[in-house]
Amino acid sequence: MLDPKIPRGPLEHKWRNYQTDSQLINPANKKKLNIIVVGSGLAGAGASATLAELGYNVQCFCYQDSARRAHSVAAQGGINAAKNYQHDGDSIWRMFYDTLKGGDFRSREANVYRLAELSAPLIDHFVQQGVPFAREYGGVLVNRSFGGVQVQRTFYARGQTGQQLLLAAYAQLYKMKRAKKVTLFTRHEMMDLVLINGKARGIIARDLVTGQLKRFVADAVILATGGYSRVFRLSTLAIGCNATAIWKTHKRGAYFAAPSFTQIHPTALPQTSEAQSKLTLMSESLRNDGRIWVPKKKDDNRKPEAIPEEERDYYLERRYPSFGNLAPRDVASRAAKERIDSGYGVGRLKNAVYLDFKHAIERLGLKTVRDRYGNLFKMYQKITGVNAYDEPMQISPAAHFSMGGLWVDYELMTTIPGLYAIGECNFSDHGANRLGANSLLQASIDGYFILPNTINNFLANCLHEGSQTTEHEAFEKIEIQVENHIKKLLMVNGTKTVDHFHRELGKIMWQQCAMSRNKKGLTKAIIQITAIQDSFWKEVKVTGRNNEMNTELEKALRLADFLELALLMCTDALEREESCGAHFREEYQTEEGEALRNDQDYAYVSAWEHNHGEFKLHKEALTFDNLKPIVRSYK
Amino acid sequence: MKATFKIWRQEGGDAEGQFRLYDVDGLTEDMSFLEALDHLNEQLVQRNENVIAFEYDCREGICGQCGVFINGRAHGPNDAMTTCQVHMRSFKDGELIVVEPWRAAAFPIIKDLVVDRSALDRIIEHGGYISAKTGTAPEANAILIAKDKADKAMDAAACIGCGACVASCKNASAALFTSAKINHLNNLPQGKQEASKRVLEMTRQMELEGFGSCTFTGACEVECPEGISIINIAEMNASRIKAKWLE
Amino acid sequence: MFIRKSIIAATGLFLCLFLVVHLSANCILILPEETARTLYNSYSTTLRESPLIKIIAYVLYLSIMLHIIYALLITRSNKKAKPRGYHVNRTKDNSSWISQNMGFLGITILLFLIVHLTNFWARIKLGIGENVGLDNNGHKDVYEVTYALFQNVYVVLFYTVLMVPLGMHLNHGLKSALMTLGFYHKKGLRLLAKLSLIYASIIAIGFGVIPLIVFFK
Repeated sequence: MLDPKIPRGPLEHKWRNYQTDSQLINPANKKKLNIIVVGSGLAGAGASATLAELGYNVQCFCYQDSARRAHSVAAQGGINAAKNYQHDGDSIWRMFYDTLKGGDFRSREANVYRLAELSAPLIDHFVQQGVPFAREYGGVLVNRSFGGVQVQRTFYARGQTGQQLLLAAYAQLYKMKRAKKVTLFTRHEMMDLVLINGKARGIIARDLVTGQLKRFVADAVILATGGYSRVFRLSTLAIGCNATAIWKTHKRGAYFAAPSFTQIHPTALPQTSEAQSKLTLMSESLRNDGRIWVPKKKDDNRKPEAIPEEERDYYLERRYPSFGNLAPRDVASRAAKERIDSGYGVGRLKNAVYLDFKHAIERLGLKTVRDRYGNLFKMYQKITGVNAYDEPMQISPAAHFSMGGLWVDYELMTTIPGLYAIGECNFSDHGANRLGANSLLQASIDGYFILPNTINNFLANCLHEGSQTTEHEAFEKIEIQVENHIKKLLMVNGTKTVDHFHRELGKIMWQQCAMSRNKKGLTKAIIQITAIQDSFWKEVKVTGRNNEMNTELEKALRLADFLELALLMCTDALEREESCGAHFREEYQTEEGEALRNDQDYAYVSAWEHNHGEFKLHKEALTFDNLKPIVRSYK
Repeated sequence: MKATFKIWRQEGGDAEGQFRLYDVDGLTEDMSFLEALDHLNEQLVQRNENVIAFEYDCREGICGQCGVFINGRAHGPNDAMTTCQVHMRSFKDGELIVVEPWRAAAFPIIKDLVVDRSALDRIIEHGGYISAKTGTAPEANAILIAKDKADKAMDAAACIGCGACVASCKNASAALFTSAKINHLNNLPQGKQEASKRVLEMTRQMELEGFGSCTFTGACEVECPEGISIINIAEMNASRIKAKWLE
Repeated sequence: MFIRKSIIAATGLFLCLFLVVHLSANCILILPEETARTLYNSYSTTLRESPLIKIIAYVLYLSIMLHIIYALLITRSNKKAKPRGYHVNRTKDNSSWISQNMGFLGITILLFLIVHLTNFWARIKLGIGENVGLDNNGHKDVYEVTYALFQNVYVVLFYTVLMVPLGMHLNHGLKSALMTLGFYHKKGLRLLAKLSLIYASIIAIGFGVIPLIVFFK
């Protein structure tokens, strides 16, 4: 059994107790310590800036041309905080409850409570950093509700919440760069982790402009590399999002927790062609006022406005009367999939459902709707050419957030000493399903508030060990391995493109390991993916050289890791013989088609060890001392 | 549908570049412009040629990483749109599509259509932030901000840093970018404390990076994906005069 | 960059003001001949002899020089900021032709200015070229100089046609100058755009029409 190192005391006091008990490092010593942060999103930039403010020397890496591009930028809807500004009965406890329940009781109580507890000061923090959150006329902050909760606790900055939070973090990062406490390496991609004496002591990164492999040494390594849903190829993620850093560290010994827990977002734009590279997300805040429906008749080819009210099936309101269109993401996605699979889908490829604002416009007036969602409607028009004020939007589920990730303890440290994982790339707070507007929260809190406090416990002991240099043989060894890996890929010289294999992988993953899974499908998927992996290494063609900017090579290197990760995801989904949150096993459902959780046998976090190609399961038992796991019902 | 792409190819920063013509078949109107380039790149791989380097990341118009000059316009034929949001339905079947990298001395070419926009980051580095450490914030509602002030700050804050303003400006001026950040922060009470320092330092850095000066052609605000108004530049000028001469 | 731009803007605004004065003086030319001659000649004498006007005249010369010199300097540094243009550039789609060609318009105005100064300033003030006669009051007969000059159809055309680039330059210049100097009131700027157009039209039409009237007088 894995030990998550939960601090002593009652739930409400755990974080305080942790801080009281943890070690401190004096400012003079902090100056001597170096930290590598991979990723510059909310988690990475927040951690880098804060650690630098504390006095550590930080080296921060991102593969994009600027730290401001990280995919935190794309979160539109908002960020949750238990401020109870709306006087609607919200509290830290309520938020803790919502998040734990939303995650279908597959996350740690202590972590989730800490998330809720730190949410309020985080809003203070961002306001101070200049995030232009929406305001009332009187000047106070506005809130709205978001999927899966019944209170209004979501703060937002028009449709750009992620962008605005990230810009605040990015600005702080550059502030610390100017103060010479952060060195920034843009257009650098981490290729592997270097361990010395069993501890994470550095990375090998590829300079994406020159192709040169470079060594970086530090006293601790922090991964903040985001989600891996690009394993499905079509996802809401940025095209460059990848699993390479976490996968490479997994292969070096970090356990990978709940890899198959992937959130499928209910409100993305549907796929329209085979060449599609990306599914654009429409913020789910749209579900606050928009109503989701499909025609009651199968294969109804009438235009939406020609379908009378009584022939429309508002299936979320029908199935989940108390939450209606605000049902959590997994529930809403699955319900959409059920309708689409049963032949009620709309749109050219019959792969979408309607999201209708007719009633909202009647009720609130065009101006209010435009005020709340104007930029989303604009974006919809840009992409589809359709004016959604006149006719309903077409939306469809799409792979979105990875709840799974590197296993971390309460301190956010992985099973490799000195290696931390923060933000979406870890498995910590969301359990089997993430609530809307909790991802910006988790990334920010990990980076700004938690890690800068917990890392001291590890670093305090590093002071005696002295510093290392990149001359150490471990660097040499790993650099050669990376170099050979790249050479091998370039030497295949087959006939098929990287995207070809990615499309193949995506199709299988979407069919077998997305919204609903079953034993037969998963078993088959493992065989198919192994076959794709085989042919990838025999038939892929990557043109260009290593020692230059080579975007095709970057894609290939990332896909090589996705192919391995996909196997683990299927293995994990196969092992978990229950339905919980986003993980829906068809064999385990109620007669009404709702998820059937099995707390008796599966109340644990699956943490996988990479054992020379064999995946070995370790378990972290989940105990619920404060809340009794209940059946998650949104009826 | 079909299209002929005329694309700038350049091996590296110091290399000579030239246009190359590519006839591309099998496109559809639903494809985004970048997907059409993906499609072309797959064909190039099949023909054993090096792929065209171009930038993108989110492909939903928010990260600001994509951006090329298409048929004489920054981010293509539509106003207020990023390159990744341009779809092939914006072009006629068989059209010649000329694709060039952003052109500005401050944006040196790295390869093909990829340019180095780190100059914009360095402008932010010189004051595009509020100096407040993590942990020092007062309660969020303690300082009220009137809705119109917050909205105005948000309008300016919407900049995604794509560089289309610089690319479309005949003088390669970064005034719209710089002013948007200055006005975002200077309009908020939290940012007021260092407002003068900010405007002086950021505008100075803008000059040092080798951007040209603003002559108010207004091209930038038309091409800006977020529709940021050039009035921001006038406001920045006012703040600068105030900071420089009146304080 | 900012100081240079501000100088161009400030001198530009001063020149805008000067044009108003200049145009109102020109209006004397369209009065009946005898009145016009007396008034115009006494006006120009006052201009030459008043010490205050002399100072303003030097400010005017300085403004013109600074406006030109800094425009050239800033154009040079702008060219340096954009050393290479685009193969295809549809500036028409995002901006007015005028705003893209202020430099070119400025040069045409400069050409006009050289001719204009040779015709008048050089003869009257510096005494270069043909001698200027005196009128009944003993003033230099500037009216006669003007009148004689505008009997030549080519000169009239030159003076009339070149007011078009002047008007264009002023239309963009006035609003741009005020924005450069930090005028950012949203509604005010909308009004300013209209005022710029009205101002530029009055100046261009006024200056352009007077030679024609004199020609046909």
